[in-house]
Amino acid sequence: MNGWRGQALHVNLTTGSLQRQQLPTDLLTACIGGRGLGVRLLRDFIHLSTDAPDLPLIFAAGPLTGTFVPASDRIAVVSRSPLTGTVFDCSAGGRFARDLKAAGLDALIITGVSPQPVWLQLSGMSASLLPATKLWGSDVPTTLSNLAGHGSVATIGPAGENGVLYAGILFGQGNAAGRGGLGTIMGAKQLKVISVQGDQATAIADPSRLQKANRDILRLFRASPPLFGEFGLQAFGTATFVDLMAQRRMTPTNNFRATFSPTSHHYSGPALRHALRPTNGGCNGCPIACKQFSHSGEPLPEYHTLSHFGALNQIDDLLALLQASAGCYRLGLDPVSAAATLATAAEISGNPVLPAQLAPQLKAISQRKSEGELQALGARRLADALCRPETAMTVKSLELPAFDPRGAYGLALAYCTSGRGGCHTRGNPISHEILRRPVPTDRFSFTGKARMLCIAENAIAAIDSLAVCRYALFGASLEEYADALSAVTGHEYNVGALAGIGERIVLTERSYNQGNGFTCADDQLPERFFTSAGSSDDTMTIPALDRERFFAERRTYYHLRGLTDNGTFATPPVDLLP
Amino acid sequence: MKRQIAYYHDKLLRDGSATDDRLALLVQDDGIISRGPDDLCRLGQSILEALGSSALVLARPPLGLDTWLLYGAGSASALIPPDSETRTFLHDIPLLRRDELIADPVATMVARLGQRKGILVEGIGLIAVGPLTVEQAYVNYSSLFHALFVKTLHDLLQRSCGPQEKALLCAVRNWTLPLTTSGLQFRNETALQGRDAIWQEMTRVGRYTVEQRLVDSFFGNISCRDQAEIHISQTAASLDALEGCIDPVPFNNSTTCGITASSELLTHRRIYEQTDARTILHGHPKFAVVLSMHCTTTDCGIDDCWRDCPQVRDCLGTPIVAGEVGAGGLADKVVPVMANNGAAIVYGHGVFTTGRSDFAEAFMRLQQIEQACRDDYFRRVSANC
Repeated sequence: MNGWRGQALHVNLTTGSLQRQQLPTDLLTACIGGRGLGVRLLRDFIHLSTDAPDLPLIFAAGPLTGTFVPASDRIAVVSRSPLTGTVFDCSAGGRFARDLKAAGLDALIITGVSPQPVWLQLSGMSASLLPATKLWGSDVPTTLSNLAGHGSVATIGPAGENGVLYAGILFGQGNAAGRGGLGTIMGAKQLKVISVQGDQATAIADPSRLQKANRDILRLFRASPPLFGEFGLQAFGTATFVDLMAQRRMTPTNNFRATFSPTSHHYSGPALRHALRPTNGGCNGCPIACKQFSHSGEPLPEYHTLSHFGALNQIDDLLALLQASAGCYRLGLDPVSAAATLATAAEISGNPVLPAQLAPQLKAISQRKSEGELQALGARRLADALCRPETAMTVKSLELPAFDPRGAYGLALAYCTSGRGGCHTRGNPISHEILRRPVPTDRFSFTGKARMLCIAENAIAAIDSLAVCRYALFGASLEEYADALSAVTGHEYNVGALAGIGERIVLTERSYNQGNGFTCADDQLPERFFTSAGSSDDTMTIPALDRERFFAERRTYYHLRGLTDNGTFATPPVDLLP
Repeated sequence: MKRQIAYYHDKLLRDGSATDDRLALLVQDDGIISRGPDDLCRLGQSILEALGSSALVLARPPLGLDTWLLYGAGSASALIPPDSETRTFLHDIPLLRRDELIADPVATMVARLGQRKGILVEGIGLIAVGPLTVEQAYVNYSSLFHALFVKTLHDLLQRSCGPQEKALLCAVRNWTLPLTTSGLQFRNETALQGRDAIWQEMTRVGRYTVEQRLVDSFFGNISCRDQAEIHISQTAASLDALEGCIDPVPFNNSTTCGITASSELLTHRRIYEQTDARTILHGHPKFAVVLSMHCTTTDCGIDDCWRDCPQVRDCLGTPIVAGEVGAGGLADKVVPVMANNGAAIVYGHGVFTTGRSDFAEAFMRLQQIEQACRDDYFRRVSANC
């Protein structure tokens, strides 16, 4: 089989069984891999509550993984989120996906609960469950250090062990399935760590065609300012967005009560470069290399981490931000949710968190002790518990990232339609509304944004299913990746086919969520964005969102998706994926 | 949406890339709005509904280019543009002939449009898709036209001329606008001070380059330096609509806001660092692009001449260098030859020119190079006839 392995490993932690199972070719060609395959494999279990032992935690690679197609070595982690209750997938970098493929697997499906902490070890064709009692309680760097020499590793920190609802799964070198609490699912299964290594190469149907496709992709990467430009991701990492968001006056500040922080330049890309002289690196074989590392090899914070611990919490002390980021990594916390939850708590209490309080507060959250007990539940539950629901800047209980929707109206819509909750990555309107890729659009207009969002959501679902990095779309498009996929698998794909697969994935996710009670009431932004203006200046006005236009465009989105005005399917959809 | 359709309809006619009576534009949001002949609009509607995209342009290019290229392509299923810029973005241009459209023409066209940004269809012309916006459909159409125009002229340069070729050349000669500076105004060095003045001048000169057809679609870029900053057009900015699309980029890189600047920022920066230039213009004038690709050397062993040719060739006194756009090494090739000449042609790509004090010098130089290339081109092909 070219591209795919055609096999998944099903691990039942309750019984200790480890079983390789065939994945039918029809299933793989229709779902591709990554997010699409993971979502499909979740079908029979999505109704289960997030603490149900049978709820699977799925790791899925893509057919391009291991082929040197640029930016194609991502791993999708899929389950139902304990934070949002929605179907939830995360795309993570590193070597894990490549090693999973090299061990002969497209996917890893984990169900059940182990009676004691375990380590799932995959080595070539063999798999075993080993005791991990000694590792339980370790922070992430300690676990990774103890597992050195065992291939790629996925692990949780104390946050995942203790049931923090936004605990992540960490893969080393700053790579994470960070959002939505998938680390909590792993912790509930008493699965501390997974290691994987193998030596099988991915077979390629047409190497010369693939070579051409790779050249086309790389040429477009090199022509893309956001990727390879002087201020692009390769040069400054995602910290490059600090200045851009400040200039566009869409930096979430003081828990989204303002959209500009006058001191954000203290932790901008140039500030990090000046202070730390970082080196860049990235996922296995990725030419973009968007990650930044300190001289000692520590991963430096991403944009959303910097901005949310920074402007959102009104902290501009670079050292404190670095320590907060490192603390989240060490403890296995999603830094976006952690910072946003602290900002919510600060608004409610009226006491902003001080730089020196960040580290102890994060530790308290990871241990669910004192104030951390409530904060471990995320911003929405915290605000509800303290009778201040209006302070939670969330959609479907997922804390919003560091792009203020008053500065980009397509983004406002995308936060709401995202199947996993308040997240920009599903439709990524930042690409055209801010970065002008592939073409610029008017960021202060709703006109046409519903259709653009549908198109982008479909494309991104396809890219996620190829297990390709979404940043690749800042340069290349489905056109070039369709050529690469055809060359690798020997099955012919084009843009239309991939977009169609993407659409089915998006609708499947929506039908899963509908089955779990989600409606248009959940596709809603916090009230603040409709009633409070952002931070205008002499050159730019940032008004509150026009509620009527927002709802009109959301209705258009539902219409284009074939949904009712309530955002639901008129009739229960038959299986959208085979 | 109607306003947008009207804007790009007029733009396609003004830049001469479409024929008036065979031009249709369609935009799809909750419904479809179209402008153009009924038959093209009906076809476009079917295609657009099937694709689910936001916009579509269907048009017959001028000069009978579509017929000419389909005839010349023999049985090939696609044309591969030889110029570097369009090849980077288009890769190739699928061809559909009448006999392939008998069974289900819409499905056949949709299938090919599912592979590329645009196609060439016998009897219809060019069809270009805008997945997100009508501007994107316009840009893709314009790129297709540029690629095919340049390819046609390049092909003609390499073969002997019969009656059909002569007729085509005559039509091309009539299609090209005379290059003139009549009526153009430029700020002098004294008046080119301060951000507002610089941005106004860049906006005006950008518009001149489009009006004189020295660029197509949003290709090309423009910049001006002051003491501490480079003011440069943004990536994907139309040079005839630069209001709000200029980035100030500090020389000391103290902010990363220049992430939205033109992909040629690095080349502009190096030119400013290593020459006495005050202004830079970069356009894609067609005849300069064609002549830059005309090389009689056959035994050099290089396949990707546009990127790998190590020679500095000469085109009527202007150096030609090879190099890949963006971070592909163009700056390293262009800057050394700019110091002595104030201009450089990039193989199969376009022309950089500089002005030492204002935009007049850069613009005149761009215009002069294209005029010289145009004259030389017609002289060369006439010699083949």
